[in-house]
Amino acid sequence: MLTMNNVSKIYQTNSVQTHALRDFSLTVNEGEFIAVTGPSGSGKTTFLNIAGLLEPFTSGQYTLDGVDIGGLSDNQTADLRNQKIGYIFQGFNLIPDLNLYENVEVPLRYRGIAAKERKIRIEQCLEQVGLASRAKHLPQQLSGGQQQRVAIARALAGKPRFLLADEPTGNLDSLMARQVMELLEEINKNGATIVMVTHDAELARRAPRNIQVVDGQLADFTLYQGKPTLAATRDNETVVASGV
Amino acid sequence: MLDIKPIFNAIRRSKIGAVLLLLQIALTMSIVSNAAFMINDHVSYLRKDTGFPEKEIFSFAVMTFGKDRSLSQQAEVDETMIRNLPGVINATLSQAVPLSGGGSTSTMRLRPSPETSKSVSVAYYNTDEHGLETFGVKLIEGRNFRPEEVIIGDDFNGNGPNTIIVSQPFVEALFPDGNALGQTVYFSNRPLQIIGIVETMKSPWPSSDRDEITALVPFIDAKNYQHIVVRADKNERANIMANIEQNMLDAYDKRVIINVDGLDKTKENYDATDVLMMRMLIVLVVILLLITALGIFGLTQFNISKRTKQIGTRRALGARKSAIVRYFLIENTMVCMAGLFIGGVAAVVLGDVMMKTYSISSLELEFIVGTAIFIFAMSIFAVIFPAMRAANISPSIATRSI
Repeated sequence: MLTMNNVSKIYQTNSVQTHALRDFSLTVNEGEFIAVTGPSGSGKTTFLNIAGLLEPFTSGQYTLDGVDIGGLSDNQTADLRNQKIGYIFQGFNLIPDLNLYENVEVPLRYRGIAAKERKIRIEQCLEQVGLASRAKHLPQQLSGGQQQRVAIARALAGKPRFLLADEPTGNLDSLMARQVMELLEEINKNGATIVMVTHDAELARRAPRNIQVVDGQLADFTLYQGKPTLAATRDNETVVASGV
Repeated sequence: MLDIKPIFNAIRRSKIGAVLLLLQIALTMSIVSNAAFMINDHVSYLRKDTGFPEKEIFSFAVMTFGKDRSLSQQAEVDETMIRNLPGVINATLSQAVPLSGGGSTSTMRLRPSPETSKSVSVAYYNTDEHGLETFGVKLIEGRNFRPEEVIIGDDFNGNGPNTIIVSQPFVEALFPDGNALGQTVYFSNRPLQIIGIVETMKSPWPSSDRDEITALVPFIDAKNYQHIVVRADKNERANIMANIEQNMLDAYDKRVIINVDGLDKTKENYDATDVLMMRMLIVLVVILLLITALGIFGLTQFNISKRTKQIGTRRALGARKSAIVRYFLIENTMVCMAGLFIGGVAAVVLGDVMMKTYSISSLELEFIVGTAIFIFAMSIFAVIFPAMRAANISPSIATRSI
């Protein structure tokens, strides 16, 4: 589904170079649910942005669903985002002037889906997140948890094969967080590949695969038949540890 | 036009900025369309043919204080002397100078009063058989005055003229069937037979609404203060004007020669206030348009800065750059169209009020449409650059805290 080979991202400001990602390599298979953890400033969001085609990378190779991202134009990248990727943001990022129905409709309009088909999908997705009856409400009339469910509905409406969640429970209380996590698990069971960035260790543990980003590099915790394995790449050297 | 409904809903739910802009556009539309109409009306007037070869004509005033000469005889001597000057085409005594703002009007009617009949207010020039050529107006029917038809005296009713030459608009006003030549009109109950019709001959008040209903009356009433109108070769006119005072004083020195002005300068002086007003109006219109353009630009900038994260989110959800530009263009178009519609209605109402209050022509539809197109184009221009900048907002903004 997703393959990154030695992807680096360098931010350049005047005379200062910041290496946000260093030779980052990762493969995410179809149907996986991965939790990405790591300290603040470690490069989690940069990884998520590059994975979600929200910003370009400096070097390396990135393939998403068989498409080499490196040479795509801005329009091609936008279309790929729209067709293959669903986003769930920490701050929900709902458009305050649009009601729930219209918010969920946004990516579908960009895809040029006909009004009748849009209506069916929106109603299905709002139903799935339990907010069908509040389609005409504005985001500010909902609680944080409800807003995040709308954001999930918006991400699902385009039937993406790849779902990116950036701290999806970061602004929610524990009860709401659990509900959102259960929803993501259900979506994953239905076949979507999910990459979720989180600070919440408990939430991360619920994901079948955990990776940790430290200083722009990857530490990969994978559950194989109940036994976790650490595969870390540092300075192009692979370290394998067992029993973590 | 895929996005119209949600954009409309978004404007409806967050309407203060949009309503203020809409009102500004409506106000601009109503003022600018009327101002543009007035400016165009005035420019048309300034460019309109007066009937006179303005660059060939000049006039001056003679103020006589000597008592030892007959004013009428001296006028004849003066005219003859002027006509003999090299470069002069003709000269005539006239109680009024064309396009000068000073002259005479009278009501002329088809029947003598107190009988009721059709009548018209006419600006007239008392002149002689040289008037037609001196004024340079084009005779389209009939003939010029004969010398014996020109009356020199001061008793118009008792021993006045019997003929008149009128302008074509005079004919259209009093004889709608066009059959005016040979007809009689009454001027202070004195019957005057129409012997000639000229095409265009403006009155001394060219900006008035009935400035073309004019007549030449063959009557010379020489007074202490009188005007002489001279037509000369336009290349010689300046030279003749420079020497005319001396020539006149050489002929008779107990008088003062003043206001030696070319007819083009006379008209320029007459129009000076109007031209100043027009220029002020143009400045006002330009300022108003600039303020509106800045308003649109500012509101778009404000909307973009307010919606940076929203734009990033839209980009993250798959919006192409062109979709972001289109969003702002559609939003602007909606507000602009509503403003232009309200402004168009207001323009008609304002035009109607001005027509009734200041007796100006009624606002023409093409000025409303033209102004609307111009303001719309200006609004697109004002919004396109901020919109293009908005389109360059990175989708990664969606995941950042700003």
